[in-house]
Amino acid sequence: MRAPSEFRFNWVRATLLGVVVLFLLLFLVGPLVAVFGEALRKGLGAYFASFTDPAARSAIWLTLATTAVVIPLNLVFGVAAAWCVAKFRFPGKSLLISLIDLPFAISPVIAGLVFVLVFGRNGWLGSWLEQHDWKVIFAWPGIVLATTFVTLPFIARELIPYMQEQGRDEEEAARLMGASGWQILFRVTLPRAKLALLYGIVLCNARAMGEFGAVSVVSGHVRGETNTLPLHVEVLYNEYNFSAAFAVASLLTLLAFVTLVLKTWLERQGAHARVAP
Amino acid sequence: MSIHIEHISKRYGAFRALDDVSLQIPHGELTALLGPSGSGKTTLLRIIAGLEQPDPGNGLIRFQGQDIAGIPVSDRRVGFVFQHYALFPHLSVFENVAFGLRVKPRKQRPTPQVISDRVYALLELVQLASFADRYPAQLSGGQRQRVALARALAIEPEVLLLDEPFGALDAKVRLELRRWLRRLHDELHVTSVFVTHDQDEAMEVSDRVVIMNQGRIEQIGSPQEVYHRPASAFVMGFVGQVNVFRGGLPGPVQQGHGVHGDGFGAIYFVRPSDVDIRPLSGAEAAQALRVARIHAAGPLVRIELLGRDEQLVTAELTQERFRQLQLEPEQQVQVEFRTVHRFDS
Repeated sequence: MRAPSEFRFNWVRATLLGVVVLFLLLFLVGPLVAVFGEALRKGLGAYFASFTDPAARSAIWLTLATTAVVIPLNLVFGVAAAWCVAKFRFPGKSLLISLIDLPFAISPVIAGLVFVLVFGRNGWLGSWLEQHDWKVIFAWPGIVLATTFVTLPFIARELIPYMQEQGRDEEEAARLMGASGWQILFRVTLPRAKLALLYGIVLCNARAMGEFGAVSVVSGHVRGETNTLPLHVEVLYNEYNFSAAFAVASLLTLLAFVTLVLKTWLERQGAHARVAP
Repeated sequence: MSIHIEHISKRYGAFRALDDVSLQIPHGELTALLGPSGSGKTTLLRIIAGLEQPDPGNGLIRFQGQDIAGIPVSDRRVGFVFQHYALFPHLSVFENVAFGLRVKPRKQRPTPQVISDRVYALLELVQLASFADRYPAQLSGGQRQRVALARALAIEPEVLLLDEPFGALDAKVRLELRRWLRRLHDELHVTSVFVTHDQDEAMEVSDRVVIMNQGRIEQIGSPQEVYHRPASAFVMGFVGQVNVFRGGLPGPVQQGHGVHGDGFGAIYFVRPSDVDIRPLSGAEAAQALRVARIHAAGPLVRIELLGRDEQLVTAELTQERFRQLQLEPEQQVQVEFRTVHRFDS
């Protein structure tokens, strides 16, 4: 009686597995092969030439520079918000938690439009900014603002549950031993939340480099000036320059791989850390 | 440093954690705060440390006569040991103990050599010098708590507070550690307060026991006092086992002993060790009890007796007395009482 049921169980398993593999092939492996295939179609020379093009270089630099500013901003905000939520009791706490999640709920394009409405030429601060000759929209500051907004929840969201789970005993112990607030933050709280913090940074980094919608609205698509990597891919694609478009896309794809590997590694570290005590 | 606590209250919403508590803790003593969970003992300890604020009012806490209300937690020189150790998992044992010295302002901070010497002296004291390079995750519970104690002592505290320090340990380690804590206290004589819900622990370790119930202090006294002269029915029941008789005693009080307490009610409390068993004589057949169970394993023999009205009486006899009586299950006997307490309840 046992054998048939196990046989059927295997059938179920095989079917499920087949469905999963099919989906992965269709939606993941296929496109990946396509990206790298298209990118390398004209040979390695053309592939690397795509990155030496001035517009491509500018896009790479812009993306790196944006990320380099966005991540520290997110770090400060994420740590501050998580510390407030996890270690203190205050009125309006649940409202703050919901607000942190807001960028997840809002479409990135809407987020970009919001910044145009505030900082754009006809926006609330538009004329004031123009008087002072500060350009926000269709310039680098706008890209940073939009990217920061979209990635805002990543670090805070990773840290909050982790810090809540850890409780306050260690912080209280440090305080009783004479540590100041900053000493507690840098010597106790952050080192203990290190893995969650790194995890948040990795996710934030991936999103910051890959963000399209919000940045697309505020950037203005000025070639060689305000095009980030994803925007550059779109521009090249629209110009029917497929091999260059896919070459740049492959760069972003590689970045996603690195993120994935880092994420997996951090999760393993976390699992070890949790098993040890 | 002596601790004076005057009229401290603390509410959490509608729950009264502390209700007008006043307490004097003399310099150099080891005091136990004993009570069931929810009795307010941990809240009181945390208020002394400054981790919780008492409700505003005329409450006052003084260290050596000085009001500490305005002194920040970090300047109180309080060593605190947590139930779950609260060691820093990312720091070695050495760095955990050194923490309080390293965070001092630059001018007061000892030199690395002084820090190292002091940390090793403390690790010697808790017998963990060879574990200096380990991390908390690599230690047993008992070892972790000893590191926590060394760490609390590193800042040379005026007051040492311990919150259920042995609560997370298994029974055997708990027994060892509490004796060790007592010896340590005899060496250092730091004014210490420790919270426990384990009456054996409080009785064995402390100079004085403060028994708390529902946010109030029921009694303060030496372990002998609270055991032999309990101030209330609650203390009697919480500190050691007790027989409770409503309406009257199922036997006579022995000559040379008497009924203590100022209660007017007819509720009597007798410890099992104050119950003696005698063979039944015909004249007292009305007060005959039946031997229901005999637990003879241990230094004392515990005997459960059942009266006519199914009233349970627990008696503890010495092995010698037990052999003398030759008790058997189902045998009919009578009881006599030595010290009896009577309380209003």
